[in-house]
Amino acid sequence: MYTTRRPRRERDNQTPRKKRTCRFCDAKELYIDYKDEKKLQRFVAEQGKIIPKRITGTCAKHQRQLVRAIKRARHLALLPFVSDAIR
Amino acid sequence: MSNATRQYETTFIVNASLDDVQVDGVISRVQETITKNGGTISSLNKWGRKRLSYSINKRTNGFYVNIEFEAAGTLLAPLERSFQLDEMILRHLTVVLDKKAIAARVAAQTASALSTVSTEEKPIAPAREPLFTEPADGKNS
Repeated sequence: MYTTRRPRRERDNQTPRKKRTCRFCDAKELYIDYKDEKKLQRFVAEQGKIIPKRITGTCAKHQRQLVRAIKRARHLALLPFVSDAIR
Repeated sequence: MSNATRQYETTFIVNASLDDVQVDGVISRVQETITKNGGTISSLNKWGRKRLSYSINKRTNGFYVNIEFEAAGTLLAPLERSFQLDEMILRHLTVVLDKKAIAARVAAQTASALSTVSTEEKPIAPAREPLFTEPADGKNS
């Protein structure tokens, strides 16, 4: 019996996927501040969810710091838990 | 080690429906609790009235205040208690400033100091406007 397999999607070799790098490592940032809501907003989806690091390319170390900063900002109502549009 | 002091930072939201005099009264009460319990305030920033991202106690606006201070850990219990008892304070957050945070702060201060020095040296050089201004929030458009 043959099962129909979906052909594996291949990227053409001419355009290799650009490697995403951690923005915080690139900028050599020492500390991710919860007060900087504009910067944190980039790492939050429209709904208010934290964007996973596999999408943004943030390294594990900075993602942990980022998550802490976002949660602190949420507590102080600088960032929404759920955005107004969804509610 | 009980006498060891640490750098702390506290941010709290005052009820914005109070007028400025009353807000200052609330802030001075907080300052008092810090200084009376042996803390030293290093900086006080009033961010002013801001819209809250979500309503707290059915209020949509708040007056944000941020205080940095140095104190022993024994100060925190009375401080937190005073925050909870004060009905004009909607939210508060006290955070220890770790090594990284302090280093970042020092770096920011030296950077700003350097920039002021460089502008003093070359007052003729025109301030260059950024060619592109990144949208503050590209996603939510």
